[in-house]
Amino acid sequence: MLAICILCVSAGLTQVQKPSDLKFPPLKYDPPNPRDFRTEFASGLRGYIQEDHSLPLFNISAIINFGDLYVPRDKQGLDSVMSETLIDGGTKTKEGTVIKERIEFLGGSLSFRADERTSTLSLSILSKDADEGLDIFFDVLMNPEFREAPLNLAKVRLIQRLRQANDQPSEILSREYERLIYGDHPLTWQPDKTTYESIAGADLKAIHAQYFFPKNIILAASGDFNKSKLKAKIDKIVANWQNKKVTIPSFSKKFPEPEPGVYFIQKSINQGYISLGHLGIEETNPDYFAVQVMNFVLGGGSFTSRIVTKVRSDEGLAYNTGSRFRYHWGYPGTFSGYVQTKSSTVGYAISLIIKEFNRIRKEPVSDDEMETAINYYLESFSNSFESPQATMSTFANLEMTGKPMDYYNTYRDKIKSVTKANVQKVANKYIRPDKAAIMIVGDFEPCNKGEDQWPGPLDKLGKVHMVKLKDPMTGKEMK
Amino acid sequence: MKRTLVLLFTLVAFASLITAAEIKLDVKEHVLSNGMKILMVQKPGVPRVVCHIYYKVGSINEHPGITGLAHLHEHMMFKGTEMMGVTDYEKDDAINKKIDELINKIYREKFWKADGGEKEKIAQWQKEYDELVKAEKQYIIKDDLWTLYMKNGGTGLNASTGNETTGYYVTLPSNKVELQMLLESDRMLNAYFREFYSEKDVVMEERRLSENRPGFLFNEQVDAAFYAASPYHWSVLGWMDDLQKVTKADLIDFHNRFYVPNNAVAIYVGDLDPQNIIQMAEKYFGRIPKGPDMEPIRTYEPPQYSEKRMYGEGPAPTSLQMMFHTPQEGHPDVPALSILADVLGSGGGGGRGRFRGRERGGTGRLYKTLVEEKQMAVSVSARSRSQWYVGAFQFNATPRIDKNIQPEDLEKEIWVEIEKIMKEGVTSEEIQRAKNRFEATFIRSLASTRGLARRVGAAELHRGWRSILTDFDDIKNVTNDDIIRVTAEYFVKDNSLTAIYRRKMSRQRGRIQ
Repeated sequence: MLAICILCVSAGLTQVQKPSDLKFPPLKYDPPNPRDFRTEFASGLRGYIQEDHSLPLFNISAIINFGDLYVPRDKQGLDSVMSETLIDGGTKTKEGTVIKERIEFLGGSLSFRADERTSTLSLSILSKDADEGLDIFFDVLMNPEFREAPLNLAKVRLIQRLRQANDQPSEILSREYERLIYGDHPLTWQPDKTTYESIAGADLKAIHAQYFFPKNIILAASGDFNKSKLKAKIDKIVANWQNKKVTIPSFSKKFPEPEPGVYFIQKSINQGYISLGHLGIEETNPDYFAVQVMNFVLGGGSFTSRIVTKVRSDEGLAYNTGSRFRYHWGYPGTFSGYVQTKSSTVGYAISLIIKEFNRIRKEPVSDDEMETAINYYLESFSNSFESPQATMSTFANLEMTGKPMDYYNTYRDKIKSVTKANVQKVANKYIRPDKAAIMIVGDFEPCNKGEDQWPGPLDKLGKVHMVKLKDPMTGKEMK
Repeated sequence: MKRTLVLLFTLVAFASLITAAEIKLDVKEHVLSNGMKILMVQKPGVPRVVCHIYYKVGSINEHPGITGLAHLHEHMMFKGTEMMGVTDYEKDDAINKKIDELINKIYREKFWKADGGEKEKIAQWQKEYDELVKAEKQYIIKDDLWTLYMKNGGTGLNASTGNETTGYYVTLPSNKVELQMLLESDRMLNAYFREFYSEKDVVMEERRLSENRPGFLFNEQVDAAFYAASPYHWSVLGWMDDLQKVTKADLIDFHNRFYVPNNAVAIYVGDLDPQNIIQMAEKYFGRIPKGPDMEPIRTYEPPQYSEKRMYGEGPAPTSLQMMFHTPQEGHPDVPALSILADVLGSGGGGGRGRFRGRERGGTGRLYKTLVEEKQMAVSVSARSRSQWYVGAFQFNATPRIDKNIQPEDLEKEIWVEIEKIMKEGVTSEEIQRAKNRFEATFIRSLASTRGLARRVGAAELHRGWRSILTDFDDIKNVTNDDIIRVTAEYFVKDNSLTAIYRRKMSRQRGRIQ
């Protein structure tokens, strides 16, 4: 090592020896301001538009305030059927196959997906075909026809997919964990064969009529175009598009508190898939920023975080472990510690995670941990604005969910102002090991037996409830 | 870990602007005197730079006994160096050496003796091992490199191992690229493998995660049967036996052989100044001595001679796979096979792993015929994938079990479509559509800085980054005659493996490892 350094110096090429010797030139970054891109179109349609001439591409998305949460119980799965048929079902003047073939011939991509409370129709096409693409895009958005043949095909394929609902342990865990925390609520309702079969073209058209109108949609567009010309074109297309009265359903925010303890789902696999925790917070909660920093230290900051260091790095118990706060627009999200580990170390891994839950409540985090977490959020901030299209979508979502327009402008200051005391306070408030439900998908016998470091049984962690899976086809408990 | 130092520094930097159709790919190149290549793509925008390093090493450089080592080694590259991840290098090194000696004794007892060795002896050594591990902890700084990157705003922080390449990724603020140069050159030169044995456990957990994905174990066997001789026979994860028995000596040998500058490419994409990058690269990577030249793999896939068929059952959906051997990337038949895959299988959904298709839609022939018209399949797709030394054309289909359609029925239908193409070829519109799609997909791929880095960097390791553009030109020249010719050439039963899998709900897994 030494010889090499001397030679390098003599060649006039010095390099620093350790990271702390590095001196970085200053870098100032101001995030883009949503107001610079906000555009109001005819009929009250809104959008965020950015010219970007780096590649000959045109990208546009429509974000619609509609999602599976708004679907009535007896029509569960309607959002999935709509995802499959908004394009494939054609429009008033064109069959779905004609639309798909044309888009594919142009090398474009047109897709639609319905999520929890928003849906997105997206088009990406070469800018030379932008006009034709734009016409197809709005035809699909405004005039879908949900023709019978593609509708029936979509239902058959979705019903077939239902059969796979209990195949993947990770899928079972995330679905059943939410069911445990939210109970019987629109957030956890699932489609079955009957609800899929009951969905008719008329249902889809009714839902489309109810939610797809200009004032309930925000556009995001970027690419190689002239903004004012694009605006003129869109204005012309949507000029006669009628608005409706917004009727967004509201639902209870009261959720049952599941009894703390173990909730076990039997599956013959060689690992246990585990989530443990309880209800989380809403994104609009003023403690949000402190919670982000706290969870970064606890288990959200990948290898820098305590749970990953302990469970993965120190003990080699898992490939995938950590903690997370999940968010739902308008509802408190969930908090969970998670790990997948071989059956015999399930109890041990859980005990280590609970220890970390308790530690972050009892002891203040270290200066180093604070510095790493806060610097990460500050220094990586510009990453969110790397892609113009993603940035426009981010701004559209900001407006859709009613967050303040200066959200990103004030973001770094809010992160900077989080203190060690805040972190400990929110840890005590939002992490409650005494209320944690521990859900395990795995093979009961070896999980329950444990091993030397943590011999079972699992009821040392609390009362063990055996959870029966539902038959995805009928929605009834399996025998 | 000693390497010879080469004292000659040459500074050869030149810009290369290559245009395919209207597509510009402006890659600047610089080669260090130790053979390491530095590539740069300027992309103004946010003040960040994607920093990737690719090594020409993957699971194909392994052999039975050390399968999975390329990937395990990638994990170990995060365990520190002489400078990183440790408070007192000498003291830590002393403990580590003792740990290795103990584990070697355990492995010889446990794995070399037919009866699994003397349990008490092993337990005693295991106890001593546990104590040493505990003692070592005081000197270890956990995930030092990872933390340092994150503290400096590193995103996209990761590494990945494939059949042919291994990559190390971070995106940093544009004023902090020097940090990557320091840390990456340091771990190429001075990697120190502490906590090896607990990391083996992590990798075994990673393998178990895959095993618990329905269908994985069957598909692993399908690949092993399809690739009989070449090192594509085993998966990147490796066999569990090898993961258990692989030693520290194997790891060090692997590192010294493949982690040399002449076997690496560093690529930077983003808001950067090429001269500045070159200067820093000379400083940090230029100090590393050149290693020996690398021999390409020896064993290609021999001709198959007879049809292969496999049957399996388990907890995944009933499905059909048909695989055909095709040439490696760069072969003149590959572009026609790519167009054919698009014409047959576009948007058909299904597939698995690297062959996974899009979920729905579909204007490909197979989707139209089997999903829409005949209503025999839920999904059907075709993919052509050529790798460095082998190629495969693969069909995946899921039958309509509600109509009692069997995988064998779909197999017959797919052959009907293949034979039709052997006779008549495809339409000029289908060819044009496929070409348009390749062009647009290519342009879209240039929009992502990370995707661009990955594509250019990995291509540079084998046929040079310009192959991305020449491959694209070759696609544009494909004719119907080419398609008819390659269909007749490769879609032959003796060149194929057909795998049929049926769902069986109540399945007892074997011994838990």
